[in-house]
Amino acid sequence: MSSIGYFFKESLQGFVRNLSTALGSIVTIFLSLLIIGIFLVGGSMIERLMSSVESEVTITCYVADDAPDAKIQQVMSTVEGMADVKDVSFTSKDQALENFRNSMTANPEILDQLDGANPLPASIDVELSDPQSVGDVAAAIQADPVYGQICEDPADVGDSIKYGQGTVERLFQITNYVRYIGIALIVILVFIALVFINNTIRLAILARRKEIAIMRLVGASNGFIRGPFLMEGALHALIGSLLAMLVIQLLRMFAIPALQNAIRFLDFSIGDTTYLVIYATLVIAGLLIGLVGSMFAMRRYLKV
Amino acid sequence: MTSQLSQALPVLGADDVPPTKMGTPVITFEHVTKVYPAQPNRPALSDVSLQIFAGEFLFLVGHSGSGKSTFIKLLTREIKPTQGHIYVADEDLSSMRNWRVPYLRRNIGCVFQDFKLLPNKTVFENVAFALEVIGKSKHVVKTQVPEVLRLVGLQEKLNKKPDQLSGGEQQRVSIARAIVNRPPLLICDEPTGNLDPQTSRGIMDLLERINRTGTTVLVATHDREMVDNMRRRVIALDRGHLTRDQDRGVYGFDV
Repeated sequence: MSSIGYFFKESLQGFVRNLSTALGSIVTIFLSLLIIGIFLVGGSMIERLMSSVESEVTITCYVADDAPDAKIQQVMSTVEGMADVKDVSFTSKDQALENFRNSMTANPEILDQLDGANPLPASIDVELSDPQSVGDVAAAIQADPVYGQICEDPADVGDSIKYGQGTVERLFQITNYVRYIGIALIVILVFIALVFINNTIRLAILARRKEIAIMRLVGASNGFIRGPFLMEGALHALIGSLLAMLVIQLLRMFAIPALQNAIRFLDFSIGDTTYLVIYATLVIAGLLIGLVGSMFAMRRYLKV
Repeated sequence: MTSQLSQALPVLGADDVPPTKMGTPVITFEHVTKVYPAQPNRPALSDVSLQIFAGEFLFLVGHSGSGKSTFIKLLTREIKPTQGHIYVADEDLSSMRNWRVPYLRRNIGCVFQDFKLLPNKTVFENVAFALEVIGKSKHVVKTQVPEVLRLVGLQEKLNKKPDQLSGGEQQRVSIARAIVNRPPLLICDEPTGNLDPQTSRGIMDLLERINRTGTTVLVATHDREMVDNMRRRVIALDRGHLTRDQDRGVYGFDV
């Protein structure tokens, strides 16, 4: 196991002796990972905003005033058994009026004009675990024969089911486009980072090809030649990714609260777990890029 | 003080020069031809057969382009022969697996005209490097490196960098690096090509001393005077052909 010690000593010495090339590759890895990291943070924010908008999509199924409770219960349990349905609740006529009153606090005189009558229908409200399937769930409810008997107008069942038809589809189209563009941008960024980092490592190794030639001359095995270089590549990647993490953490502590203050109606906060996942991604991606990059860059110097 | 190296390589007197051409050969060339793809009509080596025995000291002479470098590259298996077989210590180099090549090279010390030292390592580190990269322990490095540097007469300059040394001293460092692992075969490609006659003489004395400890030494050279003075076995190459193989020979080309 003396070779591990040798690798470590040699990679540290290589680091000190080739400080300028080492700094070059660290800075390249750092900047690439920083940009990827910022994109991941921004992407998570947008994703969070989009899902909070999407989660407000619910289906409201209006029920006729004279519908028997037993049938309402029957429909509710059928809907509860459907795929992608998270929660089903019942809003009675009184509750609907109460909700309306609460939302009309600005001009309560509207309610006075009702003269004590309650024109609002009762409804079954459906929350979805996957908002994207709202159309399918709505269609399934519409096809349910029991619901057909208790809806407001049995001649046109679909008219009693409201989920913002049209608008919702447009919303999902936009959020999906945003997601695809985000993924494509991250893929392109990773590719650019790989090319840059591979190039920097290649330069670092080119600067030391004499050393490699002598190692081969005195009979060092390929694994032994590769060892210190791989370790050095990994070291550069580790330092670069830690720096990127540090800068993102600073942004999180100072820039994001400032942004939040400026734009109050959007919620920019994302959870600690998301940050941890992003940091872990950066370190692992950095190590992979460093190791794979060194390996590729070394290949041509190791031909016997 | 007896150290590991002196024990392993007994110092022999001048009369104890090992008998040549006896026992099994360490190197055998069997009808070796090497053709480079760039020059398909002009083989760099053409049908060369010879045997080199343990403990020999021999010169490989010839003009530039006669195939000396190809000969050496074939021995260290940087290249493979187009036809024929090369055996080093009974192992066929043409069928040797790539991963075994480093182990072959551990048994062959190499010295070059341009020294090939690492400029940012000290003399000690340059020699130690050869042991470290083949996985020798710290203990071996600490005992063997000063020992071999004493052998080449550089014990005072352990901590100097190569650019603080003269050409002859740098060549001594590279010889020290080549023999620190005690290889049975030492190959020198124009070892005195960059040095003045007096320094060259010193280097050849050193090589002769190394040869007397039992190491087979092969020197490729242009240095007519040196070959004529030493009267060792001479192998002459001319445009890829083996033209002469002579014991106690001279340089022999009319330059």
